[in-house]
Amino acid sequence: MAGPKKFRMKTLQGKEAVTGYLFLLPALILLGIFLLYPMGAAFYYSLTDFYILRPGEENFVGLANFQTILGDAEFRQALINTIYFAVLVVPIQISVALGLALLVNRKLRFKVFFRTAYFSPVVMSLVVVSILWTFMYNPNEGLINELLGVFGIPAQPFLTSPDQAMNSIIAMSVWQGAGFQMMIFLAGLQNIPNHLYEAADIDGASKFQKFLHVTLPGLKNISVFIFITITIAAFKLLVQPMIMTQGGPLGSTKSLVYHIYEVGFNYRDVGYASAMAVVFTLMVLIITIVQRILAREEGA
Amino acid sequence: MKKMSKWIAPLTLSAVLLGACGGNESSGESSNNETASNNGGNSSDEAPDTMETGEADQTVEASGDESVQLDMWIHQTGEDETNFYVERIDAFNEENDDIHVTAEIIIDDGGSSYSDSINAALVAGNLPDILALDGPYVASFAESDVIQSIDEYVDEEFLDDFVDSIIQQGSYDGELYSLGAMEASIPLYYNKEIFEEEGIEAPTSVDEAWTWDEFMEHAEALTTEDRYGLNLFMNYGVGEWMTFMGAPFVWSNDGELLSEDGSTADGYLNGPESVEAFEYIKSLFEAGVVDLNPGEMQFEEGNAAMALGGPWISVTAEEAGVDWGMMPYPYKETPVSPSGSMAYGITSLTENPEEAFEVMKWLTNEESTIGLSEVTGMPPVRHSAFESMDHYDELPWSIMREQVTETAKARPQTPAYPVLTDAFAQSFHAAALGEDVQETLDQQVERVERELERFND
Repeated sequence: MAGPKKFRMKTLQGKEAVTGYLFLLPALILLGIFLLYPMGAAFYYSLTDFYILRPGEENFVGLANFQTILGDAEFRQALINTIYFAVLVVPIQISVALGLALLVNRKLRFKVFFRTAYFSPVVMSLVVVSILWTFMYNPNEGLINELLGVFGIPAQPFLTSPDQAMNSIIAMSVWQGAGFQMMIFLAGLQNIPNHLYEAADIDGASKFQKFLHVTLPGLKNISVFIFITITIAAFKLLVQPMIMTQGGPLGSTKSLVYHIYEVGFNYRDVGYASAMAVVFTLMVLIITIVQRILAREEGA
Repeated sequence: MKKMSKWIAPLTLSAVLLGACGGNESSGESSNNETASNNGGNSSDEAPDTMETGEADQTVEASGDESVQLDMWIHQTGEDETNFYVERIDAFNEENDDIHVTAEIIIDDGGSSYSDSINAALVAGNLPDILALDGPYVASFAESDVIQSIDEYVDEEFLDDFVDSIIQQGSYDGELYSLGAMEASIPLYYNKEIFEEEGIEAPTSVDEAWTWDEFMEHAEALTTEDRYGLNLFMNYGVGEWMTFMGAPFVWSNDGELLSEDGSTADGYLNGPESVEAFEYIKSLFEAGVVDLNPGEMQFEEGNAAMALGGPWISVTAEEAGVDWGMMPYPYKETPVSPSGSMAYGITSLTENPEEAFEVMKWLTNEESTIGLSEVTGMPPVRHSAFESMDHYDELPWSIMREQVTETAKARPQTPAYPVLTDAFAQSFHAAALGEDVQETLDQQVERVERELERFND
């Protein structure tokens, strides 16, 4: 996602370089302790049979864990669930975020109120939001089913039907997350120079044409950024199924990260969990790289 | 000098950061301690914090004794319960000049936060001398030598006073590893008002417990347009609850979850007795007598006539003003009831197992188990305690007593328990959703078998 501006870097020299690196040091130390070291450890453990209850007794097993992954039906289901989630959440969340941004970017009354309202789910803890929505989705006493009841629609088993549970989690996740991307889109919208719209007006462009030919191209870079960040976040799905469904019903909402967590912490099989984590990391890495290449090609 | 000063800012920043990281580790250990720690003399533990020993050396305690320092982890579920533990430990410290217990309270949210803490400490080699652990996990910790056998400190006479299920729960491979201070059971709660309206008579002792057929019949009769016959607390989620509450269906049909030697689940968890039990569970849901999504207070609000619930339901039902009663857990061939709760284990790392056992003994003695029972409403673990607590002589609590002392069965003692219980819960949920029972059980057994392999060699 290369920005339009190219920063000219002056090469640091001598003492200045030392100072510069020293300023980097605190960040590097933290990165090393909390990111690089754990990643390295996970990679190492993925080649062992490390079991939590037998610390220090791990054996090197080569690629055996990775072989197990190939035959693991639960892993496959979790992978499919996660991809399903990402494929739906990413476009929906981007559209909702853009729609909200366009709405609150107009000159309307209570603009600040709406912006705050749409943004507030973002600052709420995902755990709290998940618990709230579990109540709202309840078939007997839940708010949503009560509302449906008013229109004569029978109560829906939102979280207890294998067909609906993931979709219910998607809806809730979009509601929770879209506010954040809305703010970014909003910033992008306000960065589009007004004279472009004025020029379009002079050319007699309709509202829709202006949106298509001025607004959207103006949001290009921001969209790519949002696209990539939402995708990565979507693949990290964990809290919602953990709190709302425990991965059920019938494993229909078990995400990859949740599966990894369960195997590693509940079943204590850190070796195997690490192997899955390595596969997962590579997957996300590849997806991100592909996305960037695609975005760049389109921009060229 | 000027050039030097350029470096000072980033360097100090790094130093502070490093210091903060290192500092947290040692301060974290003492900052969470809830009971006051007055360091009497040298600690015989390897105290990680040299500061502490240094201080202790300077301040000569009045007693002058060299007392044994023990660290202990306690789970926190409810405030009253935790306060009770702290009080009991303080009392222990007062009574024993030569042993000093420092308890650390760790949040137990009913999920996995407490066991996550244990796992983390285990890997880091930071386990305390004695810790509270959940009953069915005793086998895992025993198998891996995380906790040690207490056989040498106990004799028949001492154990005689404990109910069988607590010994069952604490044993692995023929040795005793753990003792607890409280039991748990699941009676069949019922709404007296509804029973009177419908003219249904509740059994008053374990001998009169309903059979599956009677249970189904009454549950159906009690189900109306705006009321369920039975609540199974499916809202607790697909987890330990389903195994705890549901396993007696299999057991009372003379089935088992695992073979007697614990080596296989094949032919047991998916054996004909289990299949029949899960079919029965499935039929309860199909008949519409149980709610797949009950509200938190379904029974307490009178929206379910009966409930298979833990002892805590007595408290919430009382608060809600429901006229409630208890009857025994229904059965097929042999009456069986659920059991098991938090218990204590002595870690293998401790240098003072004898003293640690003194603490365990204290926390499970008559006074402790009675006090804990009074605070939590959970049944005690000692026969003597039942005798001295009057309310267990009459209904409804006599049902609880009969179950704990006569029909209680502990969950399987296997190091593969984490996977086994998930397999059971998944199967239970699948049955509730109307899935094919045999197929589900076969699939789940496959998972359990894979896990058992780890321990079978």
